[in-house]
Amino acid sequence: MRNVSSIRIPTSHFRILNSIICLPCRSPEGEGALSDLKRNFSSMDLSAFLLQQFVNAIFLGSIYALIALGYTMVYGIIELINFAHGELFTAGAFIGLIVLTALQQIGWVETHFVLTMIIVFGMAMAYVAVLGVAVEHVAYKPLRTSSRLAALLSALGMSIFLSNGMMLSQGVSDRAYPQVFGFEAIEIMGARITNGQIFIILLAFALMVGLQLFVHRTRLGKAMRATAQNKTMARILGIDIDMTIRITFMIGPALGAAAGVMVGLHYGAVRFDMGFIFMIKAFAAAILGGIGSIPGAMIGGLIIGGIEVFWAAFLPSAWKDVTTFTVLILVLYLRPSGLLGEGTTEVRV
Amino acid sequence: MRKIAILVLCFALIIGFQGMAAAETLKIGTLSPLTGPYAQDGTDILQGVKTAVAVYGQLKGFDKVEVVPGDSACDGGKATMAANKLINSGVNVVIGAYCSSATEPAQIPLMDAKIVQITPASTNERLTAKGYEYFFRMPPRDDVQAWSTVQFLEKKLKAKTIALIDDKQTYTAGLTANITKFAEESGKVKIVAHEHITPGDSDFTAVLTKLKRVNPDVIYMSVYQPEGSKMIQQARKLAMKSAFLSEDAVFHPKFLEVAGPAAEGVYLTFAQAPDTPERRQFIKTYMAMWNAKAVGSYAYYAYDAGMMALAAIEKAGTAKADPLQKTIRSNTWTGVSGDIKFDKHGDRKIAHIVWLVKDNQFAPYWDPLTGKDL
Repeated sequence: MRNVSSIRIPTSHFRILNSIICLPCRSPEGEGALSDLKRNFSSMDLSAFLLQQFVNAIFLGSIYALIALGYTMVYGIIELINFAHGELFTAGAFIGLIVLTALQQIGWVETHFVLTMIIVFGMAMAYVAVLGVAVEHVAYKPLRTSSRLAALLSALGMSIFLSNGMMLSQGVSDRAYPQVFGFEAIEIMGARITNGQIFIILLAFALMVGLQLFVHRTRLGKAMRATAQNKTMARILGIDIDMTIRITFMIGPALGAAAGVMVGLHYGAVRFDMGFIFMIKAFAAAILGGIGSIPGAMIGGLIIGGIEVFWAAFLPSAWKDVTTFTVLILVLYLRPSGLLGEGTTEVRV
Repeated sequence: MRKIAILVLCFALIIGFQGMAAAETLKIGTLSPLTGPYAQDGTDILQGVKTAVAVYGQLKGFDKVEVVPGDSACDGGKATMAANKLINSGVNVVIGAYCSSATEPAQIPLMDAKIVQITPASTNERLTAKGYEYFFRMPPRDDVQAWSTVQFLEKKLKAKTIALIDDKQTYTAGLTANITKFAEESGKVKIVAHEHITPGDSDFTAVLTKLKRVNPDVIYMSVYQPEGSKMIQQARKLAMKSAFLSEDAVFHPKFLEVAGPAAEGVYLTFAQAPDTPERRQFIKTYMAMWNAKAVGSYAYYAYDAGMMALAAIEKAGTAKADPLQKTIRSNTWTGVSGDIKFDKHGDRKIAHIVWLVKDNQFAPYWDPLTGKDL
């Protein structure tokens, strides 16, 4: 019944793997160790354990990927790291909280669940899209022709401004998110995945696929790619550069806002400064995947989530973050433009 | 000539104002995290002290009492900077800080400047083990807490195995170290895993899944409230069978609010709350004053620290550190967290009980000193 064939580990390796994986299972006394090991294995076998950690990794990774998309799209089009992105993500979470609380009070969560979710995600994404355009208009557009350092500082300033604005309006402490999904879950081969997680993973992947289709199948997407390749040439060919940049600043932050609502729905609490930690991880994901590349950001997010979860799963959890960033440094050392990066900055004259 | 005259005038004004200020205003500084992940507790502490100043009213010998807030941000460097700022602004007493990792470095400048410091929250036992005579602590120590925890595990839960989770900070890591020590001494509870998380993180599923596989009888969460609230929700989503036990940093109304139904059945250690008329009055005053739904756990200690400091200054007739610390030490004070009497280290005689979350409320459950249900 221990069906490990799906992961293809020979039995001899299986035992060695067990001794590595189950480091904490071993107790100092030799005698008790075996019985402990047996008892532990009755609770959750290896395949279930791996599958559960895989679910954890996919979930965390898809959230990182959604946030990373915002960085990579903005960088791809105007070569600027949008440091305010973490704050836009948090703003999305707060808008979601406000809308969801209001809808819960009029009882829509019970009666019109799907509609509630559409309204919550729609409002959060729409608000943050407008906010993103406003940020671009105020902080980046006037500096588009000046040095990159000026735009970078402006981005940092915007980040601090938004963060403090949210602190003053939403308070300094955790705000509880209505738990609309509860703890119901389905169990596949011993791994649990809650209804909320299924919904969030599906939505995240739908958004990513949608974005990919938008960029590659629509006229606007084509304009966006053209602008990213060569702004001057795109303008000569009649593309409205300002409009294209504005649309990029709507889509990127809107995806971040969706991730913010997802974080609130799953983790149960939001705070004005929660964008920071997610920002660092998502930024790392964007760079790992190759900043400027949309599939790169998605893969980068999943890889960062995977490293975090699987390191903590098998090896000392205290070193989780050290490892994540070590991997990032190693990848950049071997491939400076990231996994899927095209080295655009060098190619472009 | 005119330049010199202006300079002299400036100095005279500065010195004159300083003299006037010292004679009339008593400044109470607070150190607590007003920003960052633990801002909720930090705000509770500041509000507790402000409530004490408002309730105490007129202080003999002073025209007014001013509260100078300092932001320690649960960070050693920022706490030291805030402490120096408080010293420069001429505070007479400092109430704070919250995180032990912030209190420890902040002690150094405060003790050098001879300022009485009362912590309403930091529980690491090292803080009072350094022989500082101006340092006092309101809550019980971590070794007391760890002892109570191990007693509870052995005698009440009769647990055989336990897994520890901490976030590597002074307070949380100190607590797990103490539990390891006490558990190994008696040898009845075996520690089968010791995991770490990063403060400020949201996702703990990797570590929790690891522990689900180890399947200990009890999982001990040595973390602060924001992480604890999220961790317990994720544990429930993973349908973990182990019992969950936590400590005084998670014991906060916010834990119940954020974790909601996930918090049911969690055991926590916290000092016993005496049901006195003063406490009820304080809760009423605090909630009205700050428009709060519930009183944060450390607001009680902060209020007591504020009230005791004011009463001691009035009794000593001065805010100077030496007579003040002698007065605080030699008297027994009544507070909303029970009677306050300090030993020679600056610790109170106060112990923890075990609480259980039931119907989204903290309910007293078991007393480690008597071994009886409450």
